[in-house]
Amino acid sequence: MTFAQTSDTLTKIVEIQHLTKRFGKFTAVDTLDLTINKGEIYGLLGPNGSGKTTIIKMLCGLLRPNAGTIKILGQSFPCKSIMNQVGYMPQDTAIYLDNTVHENLLFFGGIYGMTKENLEKKEQEMLEFVNLQNWRDSLVSTLSGGMRHRLSLACALIHEPNLVFLDEPTIGVDPELRATFWGYFESLVKKGITVIITTHYMDEADHCSRVGLLRQGCLIADGRPCVLKKNAGVGSLEDVFLLLAGRKKS
Amino acid sequence: MKLRRTLAFSRRALLQFRHDRRTFAFILVMPLLMILIFGYTFGGDVKDIAIEVVVNDTGIPAGISPVLPNGLFLAQKITDHFNTDTFFIHTNTNSVNAQHIVHEGKAWSAIIFPANFTENFLTTITTQDMSLSPKIEIYIDGSNPTIAATVIKEITQSVQLTLKGLESLNISQIETPISIEQVYTYGGGDTRFIDYFAPGVICFAIMMVTTMITIILFVNERRNGTLQRLLASPASESEIVVGYALAFAVIGVIQSIVVLIAAILLFDISIVGNIFLALIVILLLAFGHQGLGILLSAGAKNELQAIQFVPLILFPSILLAGLFWPIESIPSYLQPLSYIIPLRYGIDAERSIMLRGWGIGEIWIDIVVLVLFALLTLSASVLLLKRKN
Repeated sequence: MTFAQTSDTLTKIVEIQHLTKRFGKFTAVDTLDLTINKGEIYGLLGPNGSGKTTIIKMLCGLLRPNAGTIKILGQSFPCKSIMNQVGYMPQDTAIYLDNTVHENLLFFGGIYGMTKENLEKKEQEMLEFVNLQNWRDSLVSTLSGGMRHRLSLACALIHEPNLVFLDEPTIGVDPELRATFWGYFESLVKKGITVIITTHYMDEADHCSRVGLLRQGCLIADGRPCVLKKNAGVGSLEDVFLLLAGRKKS
Repeated sequence: MKLRRTLAFSRRALLQFRHDRRTFAFILVMPLLMILIFGYTFGGDVKDIAIEVVVNDTGIPAGISPVLPNGLFLAQKITDHFNTDTFFIHTNTNSVNAQHIVHEGKAWSAIIFPANFTENFLTTITTQDMSLSPKIEIYIDGSNPTIAATVIKEITQSVQLTLKGLESLNISQIETPISIEQVYTYGGGDTRFIDYFAPGVICFAIMMVTTMITIILFVNERRNGTLQRLLASPASESEIVVGYALAFAVIGVIQSIVVLIAAILLFDISIVGNIFLALIVILLLAFGHQGLGILLSAGAKNELQAIQFVPLILFPSILLAGLFWPIESIPSYLQPLSYIIPLRYGIDAERSIMLRGWGIGEIWIDIVVLVLFALLTLSASVLLLKRKN
């Protein structure tokens, strides 16, 4: 049962067809079909092991699918040339602890081919965006977990990508910072950036313009959170998931 | 101190090895391997030293001299005493050619017996005129003091044994009936162990530091997730590998300059050749071992497992690359293994540059091997990153 909200008039940023990924006999993602449009915050929701990270890794070119096709920004994937327009924040903070905040931003901006002038401008903007202006020259190893998360996000955004993959960005993050993060993500969408986010916190999904509920590698629902809840006749996405998971099981 | 609490720490540490059998095997096997390798390779006598022997001596046939009624072929007698374990003898008929072979580094020494060697010996013992004593001319590559000393010692012993066999000639009162003239092709005879040792230590330091830092760096890149982040960026695998290779090459050069300056100032080591060529060799060695480090890092999940690669790199290099003792002193059945150790070529090139003053024309084989090693390991590293990707 899916509640797809698709429109050909919208610009398709990500087009996935029959995507399958197996690890030995275990099928992590099972014939996934999905289209994500420009300017959406698309949430991939599901419990641990439902295939969220595997999908993100295939979309970033870190894993090769066993079957199916991926098109990102109109180009068949994997394709290194379009990675300039893509930002990726992995589940681990994945930043260099033995470098300063400034050095990390400089490095990640550099590998995305940013010029020195542009980098200086964007660095200041990013530091303000994630509120790390006062820690510019601090070693990352001396920062708190929350600050490292914010820096990791800044590193994913510094090159002004059109599409951002955020893999469980709020895992292990305190409620206050989670709220701040969602504020960041919503401001990104206002700039026209498409955000694809994975989470297993069902309550966070209300921030998304569209969500896909995943269970055991299958997409069991896809649509706007309010529509999903309305159609299922329940008050929360958690209930939608439990209801659909129960049906799937039966 | 509570015993129970203390033992809890011990128990936890020991239980850890139950889940990391590789580390446990390492703990058991490593000391055994060390004693075996050191036992078989360390402290052996230098063997199979390549030498050129030129015997121009015509000897004295029987019946010519009343002093030597049975005749004498003194040069032959001396060479018969050469220990064939110590020397790998090639007989040459041309003195100039024999010296040239030493000059090219294809033999350690040329031992030349002049045409009138036995005749001069006879004149010396009959006239007691030491100025006429026969001379064994030794052209020797002094760049390796251990080998040079072994050559001289072996020749001196052979002369003494020969003279002992001629006691009937009553030569004991003659101080030096046979003299040995040493001409050093390289090293000038005053090469100290530190001169010989320094180029090897520089190469060894570069190899160890580059390999280990690269292993640990890439293990951390994997563990921290930064490598995945890089692979999801526009950066290609080759850009990542070459980028790091350049960084470690810079570190390698700085390290070499520091070691060289220290060796020159503190130990007054001699450097005959082109220092820039020596640095290029170090760079090549650093590039190759950086690639090796990336490859090995794929086999380690954490720093503890990464450290286990140390003996894997350390022992073959110390024992088989000619770092402390000449390759000629390693048992002959182990010597072929030294050809697959890149450090051997680095050390050989550095010593040839610093002690012999050789240039690319002479060390090109070492350079080619090091370039191939660097290309092979760095290309394999790129492929490994792509495969993991």
